[in-house]
Amino acid sequence: MRALANVASMLAERRRRTHPLILWAVAFVALAPLPHLAANNYQIYLLNFICIMIILATGLNIVKGFCGQVTVGHVALYAIGAYTSAVLSVHFGMPFWICLPAAVAAAAFAGVLVGVPSFRLEGAYLALATLAFAQAVEVFIRVTNYLGSASGIGGIRPPSVFGYTLRNYDDYYYLVMPVMIVAVYASFALLRSATGRAFMAVREDPLTAAATGINVKRYKLIAFVISAIYAGVAGSLYAHMLPGYVHPNNFTVIEMVTVLLMVVLGGIGNIWGGIIGAIIVTIVADLTRDFYFYQLLAFGLVIVGTVLFMPKGIGGIIDRYFMSRRFVAAREATAARKRAEVDDAE
Amino acid sequence: MRLTTLTAGALAAAVAATSAHAGEIRIGATMRMISENGQKYGQMMQDEFDAINAAGGINGHTISLELLNDECKSDKGVANANKFAYQENVHLIIGSTCSSVTLPIVDVTAQAEVPQIIPHSTNDQITRKNSAWVFRVPISARYYKGVVAKYLAESVGTNIAYVYASDAAAQSETQGIIGQMRDIYGVEPVYEAQTQEKEIDFRSHLLKIRELEPDAIYFGGLAEPIARFLVQSYEVGIPASVIRAASSAASNAPVPKLAGDAVKGVFFSAAYSDSDTRPIARLFNALVAEKYGIQSVDHDFSQAYDLVRIVEIALSNAELSLADEDLAADRTAIRDAIANVQGYEGLASGPISFCAEPTAQCRDGNRTPVLIEYTKGGEDFEVGILDRVTMPIDFGL
Repeated sequence: MRALANVASMLAERRRRTHPLILWAVAFVALAPLPHLAANNYQIYLLNFICIMIILATGLNIVKGFCGQVTVGHVALYAIGAYTSAVLSVHFGMPFWICLPAAVAAAAFAGVLVGVPSFRLEGAYLALATLAFAQAVEVFIRVTNYLGSASGIGGIRPPSVFGYTLRNYDDYYYLVMPVMIVAVYASFALLRSATGRAFMAVREDPLTAAATGINVKRYKLIAFVISAIYAGVAGSLYAHMLPGYVHPNNFTVIEMVTVLLMVVLGGIGNIWGGIIGAIIVTIVADLTRDFYFYQLLAFGLVIVGTVLFMPKGIGGIIDRYFMSRRFVAAREATAARKRAEVDDAE
Repeated sequence: MRLTTLTAGALAAAVAATSAHAGEIRIGATMRMISENGQKYGQMMQDEFDAINAAGGINGHTISLELLNDECKSDKGVANANKFAYQENVHLIIGSTCSSVTLPIVDVTAQAEVPQIIPHSTNDQITRKNSAWVFRVPISARYYKGVVAKYLAESVGTNIAYVYASDAAAQSETQGIIGQMRDIYGVEPVYEAQTQEKEIDFRSHLLKIRELEPDAIYFGGLAEPIARFLVQSYEVGIPASVIRAASSAASNAPVPKLAGDAVKGVFFSAAYSDSDTRPIARLFNALVAEKYGIQSVDHDFSQAYDLVRIVEIALSNAELSLADEDLAADRTAIRDAIANVQGYEGLASGPISFCAEPTAQCRDGNRTPVLIEYTKGGEDFEVGILDRVTMPIDFGL
């Protein structure tokens, strides 16, 4: 019995010592062959879109799930990322590798603008302020000729890597998938960091957080900016994907509700949940394309139903499952240790 | 790993849902079907293809049409086009209604090498992409703006006030007219303002316009805003002597119904007039009234109908194997057959012709806008034809 307990503790120790990046490398290897398993280009297009949605949903989860800020303006940051990339690519002929950081910088700056009202506003009021921001961005794009106004901006050039242009969906997958993995990894790293813990403290009780020395305003702003960086990356990747076209109709309240659904269904504050939500919602939205009139109604009902009956979303259920398994394993390990001690005493 | 499993499962489900039936001509249509009329355009296409099938199909082959709604959103339209091109393996794509959706789809069909025929989009940039796979049944905005500018300048006056909504078609048409007036007649607008797509209160603009005493006021926008604009133009006291003109969406039936008497004297350019006296037009109007309950037929109906007829002609002339392994060859054959359609005369205001070169000259099939004037408003409105102008093939390029 003692030997069994030793083996269990050795395995646990080895798991602790495994470099965390190895798991992400495994994830990359597991996801890499997906385009080759897909039946056609359309499915690869969907895979790319799912990756972009995962980045977007993960970003929203940081500000909403980790830090507890009610924002419905995330899609505007996504639009700012997409349009910055589009303008630089089309009007200035910049390559993707300059457009992407510029899009991130522009979205981050916008994140500051969205974040500042959170110093004074909370809950529904903050939601209204961010909604107004989203509407203002959409309207501004729609009436600005330089931004393509209602005709959109087309001809956004695809990225090139060492002279090879990622013109096809399967090539593009090998850009968006690694970026998605890095984005998800970064969100886990953030969650486990002091900053992540500060976010959660602010989410649970801003007054208590402030009393313990956490600069609430600063961390709220950081959450908005990091979230905006994710949206900027997603927007830039969306803009440069074939056919390289952005239009204000792609950044409306409906898109915001869809991203919100991904996070709520997956589980607010749960990274895996957000990922699962993004996958499910994108696929379901695609499969139910014929039922447009009922789709938004269904999305709304799912949000209400999830909030009422499954407040922690799918991620919450998964967490509970693993937690109960861990609890059972810990209980069994304790029992085994006690039995071993009794055996030794005898 | 869980992510991989889920995604792979979803992909497997999608593969299972994929169906490719050899021996039938597969057509995918992506259109804006979020309005009552939008659904009816799609329904009419479906009915017309069903009628072809009922009559024995084309060269013994039946046509299967899959209709998808793109909600006038480019990402949905692109997804639909990708689905048609790669998953449903269609032989031909029809789409879309909105120019902002058609513009990106052109790149998708060009890369996938699937022929695309456009039912309603007018933006002139669509065919200027020079895709070898694209054909346009409606009249390009470059012709519309030319004919309206010509009529305004030569028959009405050059002091024109413009208000236009922020939808792609209205912007393209109005800015095009302003450009034509500037380039050809050397005049600037006496007033120019842009509004939101669904804005319906224009009185602040109209009050300013009234003080400027223009020869004409032009409004570019969707049907309901056009109607509101016309009514409000009288409410603020702009006299009837000031000519009212509107974008091609004025052809839609809600405009005269909502605007009532305010629509009288308003002119616009379109591809079809409800008051067309040709027997084919009379028959078509009766058919649409009976089957779809539409008393006055707008040009989006006629263009959808003409598109089906052109597709029918092209498919009849194309040598198709319809075997899965010959998909690329069949798509090329259909493209070439559409390019060979010459002088098609249906409901359109002028003959529709295509040719093989991937240029706007070859792919903007109809270049005869008709200038239409409302002579009576309300439920039983009436229209008259002012003029029918065939534009030079290079016009606006």
